[in-house]
Amino acid sequence: MTPKAALLTVAAPEVYYGDDRTADRDRTGASRYELLRHGRISPLAGMSEYALAAVFTALVTAISVALEPFTGYESIALLYLLLVVALGLRMRRGVVLTVAAASALLWNFVFIPPRLTFYIAKVEDGMMFAMFFIVAVAMGHLTTRLRRSELAERRRERRTAALYELAHQAAFASDLDTGLRAAVSLVESIFATPVALHLRGQDHALSPAPHAASTLALSAAELDDAARVFAGASASENVRRGEAQILHVPLQGRAAGMGVLSIRTERPLDASEKELLEAFAVLIGLTLEKDHVMEAFKRAEILEASARLSRTLLESVSHELKTPLAALQTGVDALAQQTANDERAAATIREMQWALRRQHRVINNLLDMNRLESGVVHPKLDWCDMGELAESAVELAGDALAGHSIAVEVGTDMPMVKADPSLLERCLSNLLLNAAANSPPGSTITVRARMDDGALRLSVLDSGPGISPEDLPRIFEPFYRGAKSRPGGTGLGLSIVDGFVRAHGGGVAARNRAEGGAEFVMRIPVEILQPQVLERLG
Amino acid sequence: MTEQPTALVIDDERQMRSLLRIVLEEDHYRVLDYESGRQGLSEIASRRPDVVLLDLGLPDLDGLTVLKRLREWSHVPVLILSVRDGPEDKVTALDLGADDYITKPFEAAELLARLRAVQRRVVSEKDEAFFQAGHLGIDFTAHTVTVKGKEVKLTATEYALLKVLAQHAGKVVTHKHLLREVWGPNAEEQSQYLRVYMTHLRKKIEAPGAKEKLLRTESGIGYRLVLPLKE
Repeated sequence: MTPKAALLTVAAPEVYYGDDRTADRDRTGASRYELLRHGRISPLAGMSEYALAAVFTALVTAISVALEPFTGYESIALLYLLLVVALGLRMRRGVVLTVAAASALLWNFVFIPPRLTFYIAKVEDGMMFAMFFIVAVAMGHLTTRLRRSELAERRRERRTAALYELAHQAAFASDLDTGLRAAVSLVESIFATPVALHLRGQDHALSPAPHAASTLALSAAELDDAARVFAGASASENVRRGEAQILHVPLQGRAAGMGVLSIRTERPLDASEKELLEAFAVLIGLTLEKDHVMEAFKRAEILEASARLSRTLLESVSHELKTPLAALQTGVDALAQQTANDERAAATIREMQWALRRQHRVINNLLDMNRLESGVVHPKLDWCDMGELAESAVELAGDALAGHSIAVEVGTDMPMVKADPSLLERCLSNLLLNAAANSPPGSTITVRARMDDGALRLSVLDSGPGISPEDLPRIFEPFYRGAKSRPGGTGLGLSIVDGFVRAHGGGVAARNRAEGGAEFVMRIPVEILQPQVLERLG
Repeated sequence: MTEQPTALVIDDERQMRSLLRIVLEEDHYRVLDYESGRQGLSEIASRRPDVVLLDLGLPDLDGLTVLKRLREWSHVPVLILSVRDGPEDKVTALDLGADDYITKPFEAAELLARLRAVQRRVVSEKDEAFFQAGHLGIDFTAHTVTVKGKEVKLTATEYALLKVLAQHAGKVVTHKHLLREVWGPNAEEQSQYLRVYMTHLRKKIEAPGAKEKLLRTESGIGYRLVLPLKE
C-alpha cells in the first residue's frame, strides 16, 4: 500500500462518525476503529500526521531539487504551495500550518540564493519569501477550514442518515424484536462496541434479563447502575467498573422510561457522539412506547371482545337453563291449582316446588360464579341504606330463614354508603342462608352494619357450632364443602360473596366467635353520606 | 272485577304459552296467546285485552321494541316476563312504560298477584278517596294516614311519597319515578333523598315486628307497596 492510500484510509473511514475528531486528535482511536471495522491494520495507520507530512514535504523538496535547474527557484514556491493546499484538504490545521512554515523556510534555505543558507541577498527575494510565507499560512488555514466544514456537513448527513435508518427500521420492522435487533446492530456498528439492552418489565421496573438482541452482558453491579439510570430516567451516566467504562443511556418514552441502553466505551464519548447516542435512545424509547401502547390497545380490544362474548354466552346459557325451569315451575303451580283439595297430591307438589326452588338457586349460583370468573361483574354504585339493604336481603333469602329469628343491628348514626345494592343484597342473603343452614332452628342470626375506618363493615353472626379449623382457610373456595356440611348446598354461595365483595374492592373473612358461633365479615371501602347532611334537606 | 278479564300473552316458547294459559284460565282469565311481537301488537289493537304479559326475548321484534311501540298508542297494563334478572333490564323496561316485571321462573301465585296489581291502576285513577292495604289506611281527601286505625303524623314529603306508592300499590315504582313525582324532574339523580325519606316513612307506617313488610325494596330498581295477597 502506498503511503497516500494509507493516509486516505485513515483520514476518511467510510462509516466511523467521529472522523473529524480523529483528525483533530491523536490517531490511536481511529486505528482502533479501523481495526474493528476492517479487521486489519494499514501499514501507516499508526504513523502520526506529522511524520506523514514530513515525508510528503521531503518528497516535494526532492522533486523540486530535480526540477529547479529547468524552472528556476521562483516556480518551486508554487510546488510547495500545492503541497500545503493538498495537505490542507486532508490533515489537521496544526500539521498544515507547520508544513506551510516549514516549506517557506525550506524554500528559502534550499532554493533562494545564496543556497543552503537562510540569508536572502536580494530585496525582491525577501519580499517573495515574506509573501510566500503569508500565502502558504493563509492557504493552509483556509483549506483546513473548508475541510472542517465539509466534514461537519458530512457528519450531519450521516447522522441524519443513521437516524433515518433507525427510524425506518423501527417503524417498519415486522415486530418489535426485529426492530430492536436492527437498532442494536446499528448502534454496535456505529460505535464499534457491544450493546446491552434492558427493557421495562411487567412490574414497571427494569428487567434484569437483557433483551435477546443484546451483545453485552452486564455484571450485577453494572445492572444496578442501569437500574439507577432507569429510575432517574433523565440523564445518561458514565460508570467505571473495574476495567470497563459503561455508558448507560435511558430509553425515554413520552410518558415513562422504557428501558436502558448500555454500551462499553474505553474512553468517554465526545459531545456529538453522545448526542447521537441519545438521539438513538429517544427513538428506541418512543418505538418501545408505541409498541407498548399498541399492545395495551390490542389487549383491551381482546378483553372487551371476550367480555362481550362471555356476556352473550352467559345470557344464552341463562336463557336455556331458566326457560325449561320456568315451564316446570308454571306447570307444577298449575297442578297445585287443580289439585288444591287432594292432600296427597298437594304434598307431592310441595316437594316438587321445593326442589324447583333449590334448582333455581343452584342455577343462579352457577351463573353468578361464571359471571365472576369471566370478569363481567362491575358494581353499579348507588346510595344504600343499610337497614333497607338488610331487610331486602332477608326478603331475598325467603323461606329458608323461616326457622330463625333475624336481628338487624344498624346504628342510628350509620351513614348511607355508596355500593351496588343488588350485589350487596346477594352477598348478605347468601351469608344469611349459610348461617341458617349452619345454626340450630330457633336460634338468632344477627346482621350488623357499621363504619370502620372509612370502610363499611357488614357482618353476619350465628350461634351455631362454628367453622371447623380445617374448613376455615378454604371456606371461600368455589365448590368447597366442609366435611360436616349439610347436603343440598353447592359450595358456591360463599365464593360468590367473596367475588362480589372483591368486585367492590373489599374483602370477606370468616372466624369463630369466642362466645360461640361463626362470624362472617365483609369489609368494603365506601363513600359515605352523613345522615345529618340530609336531615337539613327539604 | 265483575266481567271476565282478558289476558294477552306474547311469548315465543310454546310450552310457556300453554302452561300460562292453564294457570290464567284457572284464575278465570280469558287468554289469548301469540308467539311473535308483530302479531301480538296488532292483536292488542283489535282485541283490546285488559292486561298484556310480554316476554322480552322474542324472535322477530325485541320485547322492549314491542313495549315502546305499544306505549305510543295504548295504556293497557303490561307485565314483563323475562329470564333477564339484572336491575338494569328491569329499570329499562319500567322506564319504557311497563307496569311491572317478573323474572322467570316465577311462582304462579306471585304472577297472579302481580297481574291483579297492574290492573288496579285503572281503579285507583278514578280519584279514590280512601286506600286500604293491610293495617294501613290513607284518606286522600283529608291527607291523613292511619296505622291499625290510629292516625300517624307524616311530613309533607313523606305523605307525597306514600301517596305515589299507594297509587301504584302492588307494583314496583322506580327510584326515578318517585324522585320525579315527589321532588320534581331535577331531582331524578338524587337517590339519597329517597333513601332517607323511605327510612323515615318505614319507621312510621310499618307495624313493629311484622313478618310481612308493607314497603318492599327492589334493589337497584325502586320500591313496592305490597298488597296483602288476600284482602
